[in-house]
Amino acid sequence: MRALPSNTTPLWVMTLLCALICPARPPAASAEKPGAQGVEFFERKVRPIFVEHCTKCHSTSEKSKGGLTLDTRAGLLKGGDSGPVLVHGDPDKSRLIQAVRYKNRDLQMPPNNPLSPSQVSDLEKWVKMGAPDPRTTTVTVSVAGGKRVIDMEEGRKFWAFQPLGKPLLPNVRGQAWIQSPVDAFILEKLERKHLKPAPAAGRRTWLRRATFDLTGLPPKLVDIEAFLADRSQDAFGRVLDRLLDSPQYGERWGRHWLDVARYADSNGLDENVAFGNAWRYRDYVVSAFNRDKPFDQFLIEQLAGDLLARSENIALKHERLTALGFLSMGPKLLAEPDKVKLEMDFIDEQIETIGRAFMGITLGCARCHDHKFDPVPTEDYYSLAAIFKSTHTMDDLKTVARWHEPEVGLPEDFRAKEDFDKLIDAQRLVITNLMSTANRTLIADAKTNSLSSNPESRYPTNTQAELKRLRDGVKRMETEAPELPSTMGVRDGTNILKTFPVHLRGSHLTLGKEVSRGVPQVMVGSTRPLFDERHSGRLELARWLASAEHPLTARVMVNRLWRWHFGQGLVASTDNFGALGERPSHPELLDWLARRFIAEGWSIKAMHRVLMLSSAYQMASNVGNALDASDPDNRLLSHFPLRRLEAEEIRDALLAVAGMLDLTMGGKTLPIKNREFVFNHTSKDATTYDSTRRAVYLPIIRNHLYDLFEQFDFPDPAVPTGNRNATVIAPQALLMMNSDLVQQAASKLATHLLEDTRMPDAKRVERVYLQAYGRPPSGRELERARRFLDQFEDTISVQKPRPDNCRAQAWTALCQTLLAANEFIYLN
Amino acid sequence: MNSKSNSEWLTRRAMLQKSAAGFGWLAASAMLAEPVGNAATSMQVSSRPLAPREPLFPARARRVIFLFMKGGPSHVDTFDPKPLLDRDDDKPFPGEKPRVQFAPTAKLLKSPWRFQNHGESGLPVSELFPNVAQCVDDLCVVRSLHGTNAAHGGALLKLHTGSDNFVRPSMGSWVTYGLGTENENLPGFITICPTFAHGGVNNWGAAFLPSAYQGTPLGNATVPAGEATVRHIRNSRLTLAQQRVQLSLLARMNRDHMQQSGPSLALEGRINSFELAFRMQLAMPEALDIANETNATRKLYGLDNKVTENFGRQCLMARRFAERGVRFIQVTHSDGDVQWDQHGDLRKGHTKNAAEVDRPIAGLLKDLKARGLLKDTLVVWGGEFGRTPAAQGGRDGRDHNPEGFTMWLAGGGVKPGTAYGATDDYGWFAAENKVHIHDLHATILALLGLDHERLTYRHAGRDFRLTDVAGHVVHEIIS
Repeated sequence: MRALPSNTTPLWVMTLLCALICPARPPAASAEKPGAQGVEFFERKVRPIFVEHCTKCHSTSEKSKGGLTLDTRAGLLKGGDSGPVLVHGDPDKSRLIQAVRYKNRDLQMPPNNPLSPSQVSDLEKWVKMGAPDPRTTTVTVSVAGGKRVIDMEEGRKFWAFQPLGKPLLPNVRGQAWIQSPVDAFILEKLERKHLKPAPAAGRRTWLRRATFDLTGLPPKLVDIEAFLADRSQDAFGRVLDRLLDSPQYGERWGRHWLDVARYADSNGLDENVAFGNAWRYRDYVVSAFNRDKPFDQFLIEQLAGDLLARSENIALKHERLTALGFLSMGPKLLAEPDKVKLEMDFIDEQIETIGRAFMGITLGCARCHDHKFDPVPTEDYYSLAAIFKSTHTMDDLKTVARWHEPEVGLPEDFRAKEDFDKLIDAQRLVITNLMSTANRTLIADAKTNSLSSNPESRYPTNTQAELKRLRDGVKRMETEAPELPSTMGVRDGTNILKTFPVHLRGSHLTLGKEVSRGVPQVMVGSTRPLFDERHSGRLELARWLASAEHPLTARVMVNRLWRWHFGQGLVASTDNFGALGERPSHPELLDWLARRFIAEGWSIKAMHRVLMLSSAYQMASNVGNALDASDPDNRLLSHFPLRRLEAEEIRDALLAVAGMLDLTMGGKTLPIKNREFVFNHTSKDATTYDSTRRAVYLPIIRNHLYDLFEQFDFPDPAVPTGNRNATVIAPQALLMMNSDLVQQAASKLATHLLEDTRMPDAKRVERVYLQAYGRPPSGRELERARRFLDQFEDTISVQKPRPDNCRAQAWTALCQTLLAANEFIYLN
Repeated sequence: MNSKSNSEWLTRRAMLQKSAAGFGWLAASAMLAEPVGNAATSMQVSSRPLAPREPLFPARARRVIFLFMKGGPSHVDTFDPKPLLDRDDDKPFPGEKPRVQFAPTAKLLKSPWRFQNHGESGLPVSELFPNVAQCVDDLCVVRSLHGTNAAHGGALLKLHTGSDNFVRPSMGSWVTYGLGTENENLPGFITICPTFAHGGVNNWGAAFLPSAYQGTPLGNATVPAGEATVRHIRNSRLTLAQQRVQLSLLARMNRDHMQQSGPSLALEGRINSFELAFRMQLAMPEALDIANETNATRKLYGLDNKVTENFGRQCLMARRFAERGVRFIQVTHSDGDVQWDQHGDLRKGHTKNAAEVDRPIAGLLKDLKARGLLKDTLVVWGGEFGRTPAAQGGRDGRDHNPEGFTMWLAGGGVKPGTAYGATDDYGWFAAENKVHIHDLHATILALLGLDHERLTYRHAGRDFRLTDVAGHVVHEIIS
């Protein structure tokens, strides 16, 4: 668990004092049997204080906050996380006494109420007496103060930290079902449970599934017809090629990564200012997927794009700088008054995100204490923190703090800026000249050497008017000044730390031992990264992560790909491969995929083909109850899971079916200037969502998501997510029933259907079913639609005066119903 | 609380902790917690995430109304009189100021308002709140709150979500997650005219809890309460009768589709969700329609007065939602700006702010009491922090002060007519019986019958809770 450091909670430990305190006198000095008087004093005065006020939080049997236990003599003598609390005979130097005196705000105990003055003086007296303590209970107090000590060798035995296995394809009986190596692993588990894979889905179903899966859009009528007509062996492969080559692929799969990268167009948290240049990172990701950038390279660029070998190629250089948006994109407490904490908080966010995104490990847990479940000691956390402490993420921390943005201007941008500066300087000069001429005239007229105050008021009227015109002109120019393109990112700091102190209990006020830059030990195999003294170490970290030997990177990523295709990861907890995460349902398959991924040069598109050209991916989803009993969660994949479309797919499908979708790619879409408040202190929302571009380009405002996104389980863009929810709640239904978006789409769809006035209604119903569901309607559905149109028209025609577009309204209502239906947003 | 009921209560709690059976809530939590790390299927387990659930142990309060004063009302000018501050006006603060401060402050500034003891309890209230003062025997004034963040954003997030550095579910979401709601035709958690600034939606968001538990905003801080509504609650083109026709076609289509696709709780849940949405379309306008409220009631809330009309309407809506079974209702007092944030213009600003809320709040308390609702409705009043006893920017302003401030609670099982805890002699630091924000959260949950250490949700491989790893129930304020 993660205890959050807070800046005013009294802390039991204080570094400064650590330095002041001489080493405690060896316990031996007080180990002598205390005299009767001392014993009596302890029993009468001291023990009751401990029992009543201290041991609830400081005992060997219950909590041992700050590593301190006071219920035994040994614990008392050992002290807490930052050293001894007693200096026998010297109350002033004993932190126990300093704490109960309540003078130091960061060291006050008990936390909620001070002891009475007489209790404090009793404790002081007792320490002065040499702290006699007759307690003899022997409880072994370990060096760690009763805390668990991480056994690294034991930790390495956990499956996720083991090197990738080299699984052989399993032998299965149903060889006929095997189309891809994937199938052998799936079938083997099914056969062992005497389960049979579901039959193949119909071609229409498969095409709809694959098209939404790879592009986030419904298949077009022409594509359906072409596929149905293509009876060749590689018809499925050809569809995949077409889909993977379409630019809409990168928009859909790039968006998956943007979930992991907690992409947003605003900071959120306390000061919700615009990330006006975040879109460059978004476009970088879309393009990386479309170009099938090898994942290892993708990873390295995002952590250390600025540190890669210098290239003469400006476009490449800018691309790599843009990739660094990954590190800068997190929410930051920009108005945090405690600046040191502010910095440690965003470093923590960076570490936590890298941990979850690439390793599936919750590293943030080790900020305050050794990870409670995974073998990650605090030292490892601060080894990583040293790397990011040596990285420059923020330009300054003054309220509101400013994040760093590397410039990515092209020569023409710099030229444009230069030209503009010249132009505006020239205009300013005109003003200066005009004024000095006017001033000279004033001085000459008044026959003095100096100007009176506010000379402008005495200029001739036409000069004043001219001056105003010129000034307005300059002001207008200023608002239109070209900004030099910049992007969110980091660079190396000026102070490269070779070591960094562990922050005891996560607080920068209590520093522990210094640790060198490094990576989590439990994942270190044969090669340990060596850190360059001149650089932050991000490049070494990135290369270590992206190496074929890393036990987690490839596993975590292929598991993500599996999750995004099959709705459930082989490791169901996609972002947590640790002890508290799930165990893989098919460990051999996971390792086989990871190896294949690396062997294919970390190509994601190659993995799509491996996964999608399998029988597993072709299975039908509509199976009865029969299979559910032995595998209710479908972990063994005996059928394809029913999938609800994600928020963006729902929104894009609505527009696509209505013929409204604009496929323009990329560019800035946030209507707010960089670093400007999204709401300021007011609650007015300047962002609009009525664009008809793909949903991936709609602004992502933290703290105030587009309502359609929010309702349909768009993940919280403040944290990395590889596993979206698919909840069902009533406000979703309200949105489908009443929102402008759905009503407009329905109305547009109806208008298209009615364009050809001679088209019979039956034909129209057929067309709209094909468009919305990719299949023709049944006879029953046809009939039902016709009846609905009549019935609905009746509800309108009773209105007076009778509206003249009754039929069109009825068609709109029918279309809206089709769009609201389950078949529109659930894929078989 | 007398020691007997305290120990009984604790015993029962301890017993329930050990017992393995009979937890309505725990069973529900097991159902709703992310199964096998994948919440995608959680709704297939429970298609009624908002179904009412029994608390862990007997609840003192069934619902919460949180009256949030945005910007940070000054405790030393309202509910925490400080004689030494009067005496030492314009002298330097004799103690050590906080290590981290939002803005520099100068010398001590005595309160411009007089305090007087009220009611049988004799609790002091300043002249800023003459109407609330009449209800003082119902209040439990906690004068020793302390938080951790000196800036609005961090402090709002801490107060509403328990965390000022990470995105976490809000208090109302936790409560709705723990207890469901008593009227599924209305949202379980409604926030009336919230502010989008300083955390915005995070302050009523569900974060990683299922979205069914997020707060439903009714308007926002820039919208007059009379115009506040829930998005998409009305169709602009179709009549209800026409929608009925649409929905019956939809239901038939969906049932056919389910025949084809095989049984699925998700598909079934979605079929039901349209029926529920249709009922919400009727229930929400009914709840918002105050046409049937008597003139006396309107007057009680100050609807007859321009100054109090807006907040009065918010409070009246809160009562109407409370009556209708909404579990957690937040009422925010905030204009488009930071309302109670008087770094300067303290006299003018606090006078105006108090005038806007005093009568409506008293009206709400009296009305709840008259209707028998106060006994099981917990009303909480307060801001994200208090203000410094030292002046800022001349002699008419105070800076943010998270180190010690006041909130009060009423109804729902708290000890009425009492004060708990104290700040130091000048009101800067909480000094006696300190109550951290985490402790407040733990206590609110306890009053609702929930154990803050056990109301957890598994997310990304970890069990999260509102109080993180902190929080102690303040048993002393529970009656």
